[in-house]
Amino acid sequence: MGQVFIPILLGVTSVGAYLVGAKGLKLSGTAVQKAASKMLECLGLTFVFLGVNITVGVIVILAARAMTGAFVSLYLAGDESLLVLSLIQGLVFQGWRDLSAPPPSNRSRQ
Amino acid sequence: MNPPTIEVPQSRKHMGWTNVWRLLGFAGVAFFFISAFTPVPNILSRWLGSPSQLEPAQAIVVLGGGVSPDGVLSNSSLRRAIYGILLHRKGLASLLVFFGSASDAGSSEAEIRAEMARELGVSPEVILAAPDARTTREEAVFGETLLRARGVRRILLVTNAVHMTRAQALFERAGFEVLAAPAHEVSSGVSNPEERLRLMRRMLEELVARLYYRVAGYL
Repeated sequence: MGQVFIPILLGVTSVGAYLVGAKGLKLSGTAVQKAASKMLECLGLTFVFLGVNITVGVIVILAARAMTGAFVSLYLAGDESLLVLSLIQGLVFQGWRDLSAPPPSNRSRQ
Repeated sequence: MNPPTIEVPQSRKHMGWTNVWRLLGFAGVAFFFISAFTPVPNILSRWLGSPSQLEPAQAIVVLGGGVSPDGVLSNSSLRRAIYGILLHRKGLASLLVFFGSASDAGSSEAEIRAEMARELGVSPEVILAAPDARTTREEAVFGETLLRARGVRRILLVTNAVHMTRAQALFERAGFEVLAAPAHEVSSGVSNPEERLRLMRRMLEELVARLYYRVAGYL
């Protein structure tokens, strides 16, 4: 039961959210796929930021060790808070990209 | 004056990166689901871990696991220390060595664990506290200096199962015959998503550490 509880919970709430969106809020059903695609973009950027944050963190720690002689643990660069902070960076960057994207050409409508 | 020739390459470039982010995002989501909801972390941890080799030795060497600035041992440190004390009480070695560097203020992890062992009935004469080593490599280096003077060559090494392979290689390189005594900090049989993610994180950390030690020439 423990292993399937969360997937079942997630499935139930996702179906519920879909029904509320499609029936209650009259959202477009076909836009769900685009929303999932946008979510993957955000997560992809999050993983890029996470990788960069960890790599830069390790380099800074090694440089600090070499230059000052003081011991700084490499585990600092793997702190769990980095995942959430990288998510925030990813979301902001994605929003920036979207808002800065050139407006769609109106040639197709002509 | 031909806007489409400028717009189209920019748009393609934008879409190219968008596809890269999507692919990365998909890979991340897949990795998360595999880690949290399948037995892959359990299988990997059994594969990465070292089996126990509990045989008589000259010393039980307990590696550091972390201590907070106010002197509270981490879960990892406590488990290793208790396992080392249990092995000593079973009579597997006469000498009990605790590693663990000092916290920002106050006593070192090694001294705190040594004190705990004394209070649990281990004779003070057989306990050694080594508070100067801060990394696994330093533990092997300091261990060599500390134990060679006492004629110790065969040791029972206590750390967690995933860390054991790297630690064992370093102590063998320092000239010891090493018997693995893994103290299980995260069970390889966990089945709930949170524990599986923790297990996967621990393995990833260890794999990165092994890579770093190889690149640095420590292994």
